[in-house]
Amino acid sequence: MAGDERVYRLEGFAVPAELDRVHELIERVGAEELRLDSTDLMLFEMAVVEIANNVVEHGRPAGEVRWQLILTVTAEAITADLYDSGEVVSLDFARAMPEEDAESGRGIPLAKSLLDEISVGPSDSGSGNHWRLLRRLGASDAE
Amino acid sequence: MEFEERTRGTASVLAPRGKLNLVTAPAVKAKIDELVASGSPRIVVDLSEVTFMDSSGLGALIGSLKSARQAGGDMRIAAAGEQVRAVLKLTNLDRILAPHDTVEDASRGW
Repeated sequence: MAGDERVYRLEGFAVPAELDRVHELIERVGAEELRLDSTDLMLFEMAVVEIANNVVEHGRPAGEVRWQLILTVTAEAITADLYDSGEVVSLDFARAMPEEDAESGRGIPLAKSLLDEISVGPSDSGSGNHWRLLRRLGASDAE
Repeated sequence: MEFEERTRGTASVLAPRGKLNLVTAPAVKAKIDELVASGSPRIVVDLSEVTFMDSSGLGALIGSLKSARQAGGDMRIAAAGEQVRAVLKLTNLDRILAPHDTVEDASRGW
């Protein structure tokens, strides 16, 4: 199993301009992991971007939060471990998709609908947060 | 964000290019609000050049739809790619923002 695992990472500030780098990292995964179904990767990308957006928008102190994104691909799943240096967050992943005319509030429910596992907690390092997002591969039933 | 702007009959067609996301959504909303305020409340958003849309992009489209309707017009979307269609479906917005296959289809009846 361990030999079958590939890891991709990036580090930087959690600011809007860095979101393109998140897309680029996922594009690299798509280019290098030929066994990955393109729909799985597209849906996973949407989930990762929503969580990255959340850190960019709500991470405090604003503009000073750093992050590290680690993507791990195995035969069974694709996982994102996102470590941010911001103040500890607590989030309700059970929140429902808002009404049709709402202009915000869809990011977290959307991310959850695309993943098999989603969690956030204080990072083991003692400061910041660890977001963990996992999508199992080959099931395509999260749609 | 780059836009291409044109008219088709009585509709204004706006074609944003690139990612419609946290970074670019406010500019798209502002552009559509400007069109609505200038007396063109019938808007078709041509999404053929949008490579990725997130929930911020969706929020901008919903806000624009509301502005257009409040001004007595409407906003329709056309030529969305696979990812844009997926995000509309997953958020249950494919009913009020029904994706039309082409700009021609979207502007029909105006």
